[in-house]
Amino acid sequence: MKILGISAHYHDSAAALVCDGMPVCAVQEERLSRRKNDAAFPIGAIEWCLDHAGLSPDDLDAVVFYERSMLKFERILTCVLRGFPRSWRSFPQAMKNSLGEKLWVRGVIESHLGIPKNRVLFTAHHQAHAATAFLTAPTRRAAIITADGVGEWATLTVGHGERTDRKTAITLMREIRFPHSLGMLYSTFTAYLGFAVNEGEYKVMGLAAYGQPTQVDLVRRLIRRTPDGAFALDMAYFEYHTSAKRSYSSRFVDLFGPPRNPYEPIDLNTTEGRRHADCAASVQAVLEETLVDIARELHRETGLPDLCLGGGVALNGVANARILSESGFERVFVPSAPGDAGCALGAALYADRVYFGQQERNVPDHPFWGPSVDSNELLRAATEDGQDLEQLDDAALIERTADELFAGAVVGWMEGACEFGPRALGHRSILAAPHSSQTRDRINRDIKYREEFRPFAPVVPIEAADRYFELPPGGARLARFMSAVFRVRPEWRTRLASITHVDGSARVQVLEREMAPRLSALLEAYGRRSGIPVLLNTSFNVAGEPIVCSALEGYSTFRRCGIDMLVAAPVVVTKRGHSRVKSLKEQALA
Amino acid sequence: MLSAGVDRILRPVHRWIWRDSDRRVRKLLCFAEVETGGGRDILRAAEITRDPLLRRLYLAHAIDELHHGDLFRKRGADMLRSSRTSSAPGARAESPASGHGLDDLRIQDEPDETLLAFLHLSEKAAAGRFAIYRDVVRDDLPTQAIFEEILRDEVFHMNYTFTQLARLSPDSHRKLLWRARLRRLWKQYLRLATAIADTFGTILLTIQYFILIPPFAWLAKRAARREQAGWTTLPPDKRDSLKRQY
Repeated sequence: MKILGISAHYHDSAAALVCDGMPVCAVQEERLSRRKNDAAFPIGAIEWCLDHAGLSPDDLDAVVFYERSMLKFERILTCVLRGFPRSWRSFPQAMKNSLGEKLWVRGVIESHLGIPKNRVLFTAHHQAHAATAFLTAPTRRAAIITADGVGEWATLTVGHGERTDRKTAITLMREIRFPHSLGMLYSTFTAYLGFAVNEGEYKVMGLAAYGQPTQVDLVRRLIRRTPDGAFALDMAYFEYHTSAKRSYSSRFVDLFGPPRNPYEPIDLNTTEGRRHADCAASVQAVLEETLVDIARELHRETGLPDLCLGGGVALNGVANARILSESGFERVFVPSAPGDAGCALGAALYADRVYFGQQERNVPDHPFWGPSVDSNELLRAATEDGQDLEQLDDAALIERTADELFAGAVVGWMEGACEFGPRALGHRSILAAPHSSQTRDRINRDIKYREEFRPFAPVVPIEAADRYFELPPGGARLARFMSAVFRVRPEWRTRLASITHVDGSARVQVLEREMAPRLSALLEAYGRRSGIPVLLNTSFNVAGEPIVCSALEGYSTFRRCGIDMLVAAPVVVTKRGHSRVKSLKEQALA
Repeated sequence: MLSAGVDRILRPVHRWIWRDSDRRVRKLLCFAEVETGGGRDILRAAEITRDPLLRRLYLAHAIDELHHGDLFRKRGADMLRSSRTSSAPGARAESPASGHGLDDLRIQDEPDETLLAFLHLSEKAAAGRFAIYRDVVRDDLPTQAIFEEILRDEVFHMNYTFTQLARLSPDSHRKLLWRARLRRLWKQYLRLATAIADTFGTILLTIQYFILIPPFAWLAKRAARREQAGWTTLPPDKRDSLKRQY
């Protein structure tokens, strides 16, 4: 069977194709449209998936949308009704927003792809999250938690999944419903702290490390635990359920003080800067303890050793690490794309395994489902532009790159298919030596153009991971897709200064050779030079832009920021010594 | 040409807009978004074109636009800090006023000639408008300096887009420019029509909200009071449930 999964219309739309039970490809629309978090109907991603598999829309047995749009509309309308008369401003906006394309998904898909309506299917939003988490994980039975801002009504679900050779079942037992939402709680603080919602949540997590959870008691006034082990928000502190303009209420501001001006940099040496960091640390602490409690209860209830986590909240690596350590689960699986984009894959897999009852097959355990890099494109463009370029065989390329990294160069690294999900896991990465905090500052200042307080992640071979990082049992697995934050061993922190966060932690990627052999070889080669087979690994993009996808996107990024060397095997492009000091514009015109 | 003329006539209005520091900050932050967005679009054009010379020029142009975005953003933030105006948190771009970018076009679907014609006109219109802004912010030297710098860049942008358009289409570049002008006019009409329709829609929906919604709101609130916080148990899934949107 050939099944296309689609997620769209909220943020980060995507398409994924499953043929005969196996994922063939998956890509976020933003990687093709080059608009970060592109929420538009992912026609570019769909076209690419079909082209990649050599299919036409007629060949598809089903197209599965990742949520039930009518049910979502019911929730939006109900919230407006409940907010009467305060919701009078948001009502016209909500109606115009929903009554356009979003409500008529079946028709939109039908008109774009020209397929009959009866081939268009819908999963529930959290069903798709659960499927992404469970059906891509190497486990046969697992408990499941999904948590995000909101789907249709659900904001958090718990359940379990089981895969046998004959049957696959995903059972969501219970849910917490909107407006009570851990994701929205965190997003409200994201907005309050002056970051963009649905994009800046990881900045809150990074900022939290600089603060102390001194405002935990205040945050607990916003969220109370219910007798059945769930939670409920005190909606007097929020406005996201009645207003599209602001997510926190005046009462929230009375409690926590004035919100941060988004255009003002965070200065952690000021009282105000520390207050913001403390605020971030406090909401982070409450999020963690709530999730750990729910996970612990689910472990007691199911008795299963494995847990699959899905939904945008599963991108919170600090919380994931605590769940692994404290909930009782032995292994925790988070897919490479736990957010809404990943639902495209989850929806397709759910339809295949559960709805159509197709035979179970293990999904390859890697995140590389997107378009492949074409080094010939890079070769052509760099040659035409008179750049310094070389074509090297694999061994020479690895040695050359390791030499440059050891000499302090920052390398743009592209190989194979691009990652599905928000993390660069070695196919579209910026790599650098991890030893000096100056490297971190340089990448923040000259390449990523982002806030100083944000940490960088390391990548380490699985064989050496335990030497440098305090990984609990199951930690290496959780770190496979950079899904958890662990402590850097104290004795290595000064030698791993550029990837060690202020609290001694790092969002480490633990790499198995089979997943990315070339990067693995590079780590070994670098280890031979430096004695430490660890590299700084950050996404290949600049602030505000999606991760690069094609070779030419990598090349244009390389040419306009401070990256010293660009690799798309077998092609290596190096900035000339003198051009490193030229202005970006001069370089472009050279 | 037309928009430049209109802008000249509207100079007193511009002066009034820029006099107020709150509005000035909003304008600057709006320009920051527009310039950055335009820069990214032009970057996309650089990545797509097969013409090596155009790739270099587009890249330089994109770097300029991104730099302009930074200049506006920094100036807006500085003014915000010093004046503590009310537009602070959540201030976002209003409307894409100056139109530097290629946001009306699907870049990957357009030939270089069309992009160049469109860019040339956009740069020309923006230069005219920025010249007026430069004149009306005489009391604010840092902001004026930004417009000065940008205007210098605009000269380069206008020149290269025209030269390259003439290189690629020596016989028909004038025709392409006229076509781009008409297209821009059509887009402006569409924007205006959409804005008017949007306003009407908002008014009608607001009227409906106060006339039709109250009884349903009462029922919804009553139902909400009965809802218990905490877990909601889910019924077992039905096999046919994927057909339903509800």
